[in-house]
Amino acid sequence: MSTPMLEIKDLHVRIEDEGTEILKGVNLVVPRGEVHAIMGRNGSGKSTLSYAISGRDGYEITEGDVLLDGQSILEMEADERAAAGLFLAFQYPIEIPGVATMTFLKAAMNAQRKARGEEELATPEFMKAVRSEASELGIDNDMLKRALNVGFSGGEKKRAEILQMALLKPKMCILDETDSGLDIDALKVVSEGVNTLRGPDRSMLVITHYQRLLNHIVPDRVHVFADGRVVESGDKDLALELESKGYAAFDDKAA
Amino acid sequence: MSIAMPIRLGPAEEALIAQLEGAGAKDAAEALRATGLPNRKLEAYHYTDLKTMLRDVPTANVADGAVTAPKLRIPGAYRVLMANGTASHESTPPNGIIISDESGNALSARDDVLVSMNRGLATSHLKVRLEGSVDPAVHLDYRLSGDARHVATSVLIEVADGATATVVQSFSGSDAAHLGNHGTRIALGKDARLLHIIIDEMEMAARHFHTMEYAIDEKVALTTLGINLGAGLSRTSIFGSFDGGGAHADFSGMNLLDAGQHCDIKLDLTHAVPDTTSTELYKAVVRGDGTSAFQGRIVVAQDAQKTDARMMSQGLMLSDEAQIFTKPELEIYADDVQCGHGATVGDLDENSLFYLMSRGIPKDEAAAILTRAFVQELLDRIEDAELNEALTGMVDEWLVRGDAD
Repeated sequence: MSTPMLEIKDLHVRIEDEGTEILKGVNLVVPRGEVHAIMGRNGSGKSTLSYAISGRDGYEITEGDVLLDGQSILEMEADERAAAGLFLAFQYPIEIPGVATMTFLKAAMNAQRKARGEEELATPEFMKAVRSEASELGIDNDMLKRALNVGFSGGEKKRAEILQMALLKPKMCILDETDSGLDIDALKVVSEGVNTLRGPDRSMLVITHYQRLLNHIVPDRVHVFADGRVVESGDKDLALELESKGYAAFDDKAA
Repeated sequence: MSIAMPIRLGPAEEALIAQLEGAGAKDAAEALRATGLPNRKLEAYHYTDLKTMLRDVPTANVADGAVTAPKLRIPGAYRVLMANGTASHESTPPNGIIISDESGNALSARDDVLVSMNRGLATSHLKVRLEGSVDPAVHLDYRLSGDARHVATSVLIEVADGATATVVQSFSGSDAAHLGNHGTRIALGKDARLLHIIIDEMEMAARHFHTMEYAIDEKVALTTLGINLGAGLSRTSIFGSFDGGGAHADFSGMNLLDAGQHCDIKLDLTHAVPDTTSTELYKAVVRGDGTSAFQGRIVVAQDAQKTDARMMSQGLMLSDEAQIFTKPELEIYADDVQCGHGATVGDLDENSLFYLMSRGIPKDEAAAILTRAFVQELLDRIEDAELNEALTGMVDEWLVRGDAD
């Protein structure tokens, strides 16, 4: 069997200033090219998992390991993890006044290229790449000139996240509640964007508490998350079972 | 009845008094002898105690013709060199720029030691009159060279009725303990439009003081931007008076400070007549143990109905040792006005930093991007592409300097 794209081993995480343990031994394997979903109610630790994997300050790993394509990433800074091929699509993309979206995209792409020892992109090449991916997602030029995420609608923010994912070409994508704040039409555009990025060398972890998204992004595996760990795993039908029975049915397993 | 206690004067004060007496400025000398240099008990100098901060005074007004290399070049600008307080310009000024040297341009008398010293010691009395649509920017390039010197200058910028102009004042010099005490009066005629940019790029050893006085007539449109990134100690006092209806002014500035720097801005505006509007936006970015202070006061006179004034000061602290003081004040005597003030001080937003880093941007670069973004809205006010590029370059250079620390 080939190396999994993402392997989480007995991961324990607590929030630094609070001391409470949020993740209590997460085990999860996402093989190369597969899309897995994590479902869990609010407060079950799903977002903590995404932040801990992507290297946000303030999340202390007390036990366990996270391997990206066979390499432990826990000692890496967030930017190094990104350059190694990890991407987190934020539930709430951050608004950054004073930084044009285009400028940001160029800084991000070139920083990753530099970290990998590649040449910086020439401007025409960069513009061409952005324009072509942007039009696929229905993002117009005007939006690219605006400050990053500032004044973007919920749908525009999520499309901008997918645009970044398309341009940065990560190996492992974590999509944190990508469906939140989206109406049906926007959900379709975003899901189609994600689906076109599926491929044999790219894996995804889709975090959601709502089965709806998984009608559009059909996962290979579904994991139920409760009280800081994975309590049940199954195929895509598990999401439907969860939808009909509710999360409470799985609470016993967390105990 | 109180009995005035004699003030104990230090060597700096004695030296200044001697210089004022030598220049025949007896009143200013007497005033300084009576009060001494302002200390922190004086409201206007609360954050900048000159009595303790100004310990030595270099020789006054030595004209020797030496000039340091220019620090700032603005493409296409018409430059007037102010070398050690003496004005000179190379060619005949273009149409609309009339330069003369005449007395009567001094700052208005005020109960302020820096002002009275300037009035007593200023040697050059340059007048720059701007008429019509003045195409090139006028660049008043102040440079102090050689060993430490005390230089006082006085300049009147007169923007004629209906004229449009851009004026840049920049201050640079050798790395010596200069004491620059500059005065600038800006008289704006009816319908005049002025972009006024003031840049302090003095070296760390220097002490830099600048008092500005704006007289704002009917329907004036004024934009100011001060960029302070030089001098170990600097103090800018801005006085402005709206004297004609329909005028609008945007006052703004940024202090970009490193370790060991202390920069104080005091803004004092009076909306004296009805129907005038203004915004005031001052930003500070402080590294190391630098200190930035902003005191802004807006007075709305009883007659000045329909005044709309919005003052904001924002501080960004890039280190734990950085200090930012801010004190906005409104004094409103009219009843039909819209005025507001606000202040924020903080460090770089963790969420924003993480967001940029999660896209592969290293922490230092992410911090530079966010710091630049913090002042970007002020740079955006400069529409002229070449001028904008020159100022943006200056800010970027300051940001890069931080990375090297």
